[in-house]
Amino acid sequence: MTSVSSPTRQDNGSFRALLGRFPFLPALLILVVLLVLNGIFEPNSLSFRSLTGLVRTYLALMLLAVAQTYVVYAADIDLSVGAIASLVNVTIIVLMQHMGGGGLSVLAALGVGVLVGLACGLVNGFVVAALRLQAIVATFATSIFFTGLALVILPVAGMPAPTVFWRTYGGTFFGIPFVFYVAAALAILLYLLARTRLATQLLAVGDGQQAAFQSGLPVTAIRIGGYALCGVFAALAAFCITGDTASGDPLVGAKMTLFSVAAVVLGGSALSGGFGTVAGSVIAALIIGLINSLVFFAGTPSHWQNFVQGLAILAALMVGVLVSRRGRT
Amino acid sequence: MTKLKLSGVSKAYGATLALRRGDLALDTGEVHVLIGANGSGKSTLCKIVAGSVRPDAGEVLLDGNAVTVSGPRAAQALGIGIFYQELSLADHRSVAENICLPDLPRKNGLFVDREALAEKASRYIALFETVAGGSLHATATVGELRADQRQLVEIMKALATEAPILIFDEPTSALDRAQVDRFFEILRDLKSEGRSIVFISHRMDEIFAIGDRVTVIRDGETVGTEAIAHTSPEAVIRMMVGEQEVLAAPQAAPPPLQASSDVALAVENLTGVGFRDVGFSVRRGEILGLGGLHGQGQSALLKALFGAPPARAGQVMLNGQPLRTESPRAAIAHGIAYVSGDRGRDGVISGRPILENVIPIHALRNRLVLARPRSLSEKALPALKALNTKFAGLSHSIGSLSGGNQQKIVIARWLIDKPDILLLDDPTKGIDLSAKADLFVLIRRLAEEGLAILLYSSEDAELLNNADRILVFNGGAVSRELSGAERTRYNLYQAAYEAA
Repeated sequence: MTSVSSPTRQDNGSFRALLGRFPFLPALLILVVLLVLNGIFEPNSLSFRSLTGLVRTYLALMLLAVAQTYVVYAADIDLSVGAIASLVNVTIIVLMQHMGGGGLSVLAALGVGVLVGLACGLVNGFVVAALRLQAIVATFATSIFFTGLALVILPVAGMPAPTVFWRTYGGTFFGIPFVFYVAAALAILLYLLARTRLATQLLAVGDGQQAAFQSGLPVTAIRIGGYALCGVFAALAAFCITGDTASGDPLVGAKMTLFSVAAVVLGGSALSGGFGTVAGSVIAALIIGLINSLVFFAGTPSHWQNFVQGLAILAALMVGVLVSRRGRT
Repeated sequence: MTKLKLSGVSKAYGATLALRRGDLALDTGEVHVLIGANGSGKSTLCKIVAGSVRPDAGEVLLDGNAVTVSGPRAAQALGIGIFYQELSLADHRSVAENICLPDLPRKNGLFVDREALAEKASRYIALFETVAGGSLHATATVGELRADQRQLVEIMKALATEAPILIFDEPTSALDRAQVDRFFEILRDLKSEGRSIVFISHRMDEIFAIGDRVTVIRDGETVGTEAIAHTSPEAVIRMMVGEQEVLAAPQAAPPPLQASSDVALAVENLTGVGFRDVGFSVRRGEILGLGGLHGQGQSALLKALFGAPPARAGQVMLNGQPLRTESPRAAIAHGIAYVSGDRGRDGVISGRPILENVIPIHALRNRLVLARPRSLSEKALPALKALNTKFAGLSHSIGSLSGGNQQKIVIARWLIDKPDILLLDDPTKGIDLSAKADLFVLIRRLAEEGLAILLYSSEDAELLNNADRILVFNGGAVSRELSGAERTRYNLYQAAYEAA
């Protein structure tokens, strides 16, 4: 009896260890399945061209999911990531327009954009960690505030981005699309960030705020750091949105906020904090993108698309949860 | 030479005075034992020194200078390290990260120096290499470790602060003999380096094996300090109990049980998570107390009898019939009632009216499908009246009541259909004094009406005053049974503090 049961237990143990090390494995599995399904419904969708298009469209969501992950690490949440992205989007569009739309003005605008994102993150961190307001409500409130600012800066959608900006984003250099350079740079950045003290400290805070405080960690500063990082990544996401849509829109990010939360969960991170990976969130953002394209390629009638998309995301979440649960018990 | 001196330190949480007057003088190069009964304020005293609790009054002197320990970081800067009884570990982080968490080694300012981290952690892991078990290594996730290994990691974390003052608040509760011995060797090394160590333990043998001096705390006040060499376990227990209590006559004899009263619940060799080989029997009309230090298996036993979760082995006989309680649902069907002191989590249905809080057990036992408020009120009112519950109306939210009245509502829940057995798991936790007295009058009356009652209380006085017999738990097993004139505080402490 024991001789029969012990190997399976060992298998389960190593599976568990694997899942503990790579919590995004279930998400990776779903990604592969979705790629195959996409290929079946529309072989063209696996061509280099369409994959480039997919990355170009969903790079913004990937960055937003990464942004969300850092606050979720510390068991916080940020419902204003989308609003921050909108605010940065209109800020850089208006700045670039005012400064003439040349290469230098673009770079200057991007610099300001990062600072705006950082400032928004600091505001969030201040109200949540220093003033100790409930993260979910406080960031909902700041999201309205940021959206309001965006509407003041650019009341109606439509101001175009300078040609040099979106041509670069959509362009190809040395035979490789620009977005892949961005993706590579992102991968290096995430790798480095994972090795910072802040990442470890955020996770420790998420594991137990009281324990972290008793260990002597500056809990408030760490949580503010998480929100600041989140704001910066939301600004980077805004750059990608701007590159993809080539225009300013004060409401463009709003609908992406909850997708970013969904991506974090789908990527294997715990909303209760202390556990997760940014890689998982990136993969999950791609999953959401692939679900959208699959719904399209499968020929779903347009008025059914949201319905099917919602069901598919639910199914993906369920598979992820089931696999992780098997790994844990 | 006095390294650290606390005088007249106090701390209140709301209306509860956790520490009335804490004094402590810690010398350089000594192991100073702190001892006191449940809730006497030892942990509060330690947390004040470590900066995680701010005192309301009193003075802390470090090397003769008055200091304010404004937080755990400030404490570290002042050279104070602490082992927390409830542990301060991050479950999903690795052993190495946890050991170095208070001060992660840095590289280029922003990054964690992985090599330095591994090197530093391995030094402290190596200290316990022979006794920790193979699964405790630098890259293991803390959440996957056994309880004793987690405790060792917390010890390593405290040691890694390299602080001149180290506080260990019950560091040995989950450790085995060999691990304790190794830990004591390390303590002796630290002592010879001139470090000052505060050590809290409930095991008398450990205290006398490692301590240089002992300070006794009773009811939030420092009673006195003695050199270990000049005292004895009996003398220490006497200090913990207080002279008056030692001389005081034993508690009133229990009311004589009716001759006809028969055994309601008999338990043999019951073993489960947190307790082992427990055996006893309770008659109808009897209140059987479960005593001893916190967490020695009393609550776990009561929960197991209620089927949450069921015991692993052993026999339970209810009214002479063998009983398996696989779940609370089955236990309720067999007439077993369970009241937890953790009302918020296990008792009250918060935000709902009083009526809804009284009827769920009645509804379950009678398989009610429809809830008709009028007929249910008729059932609920007598039960509430019997308990002297004060409330404005059955439709009012339970949140509008005081803690004591909420607990009465939870007890009333079980009384509509009379149970046979009432399990009380620290039922008076967080209830004011007059409400406590009310509750115990009620509990006695329920016993007189023929219920068999098991009572665990974290307050020793409650047990001594209300239980007819007391089983003293120590390390998950019953170490002694006190009945009649034996039910004194002295005997209770002696049984609770003996080596398990």
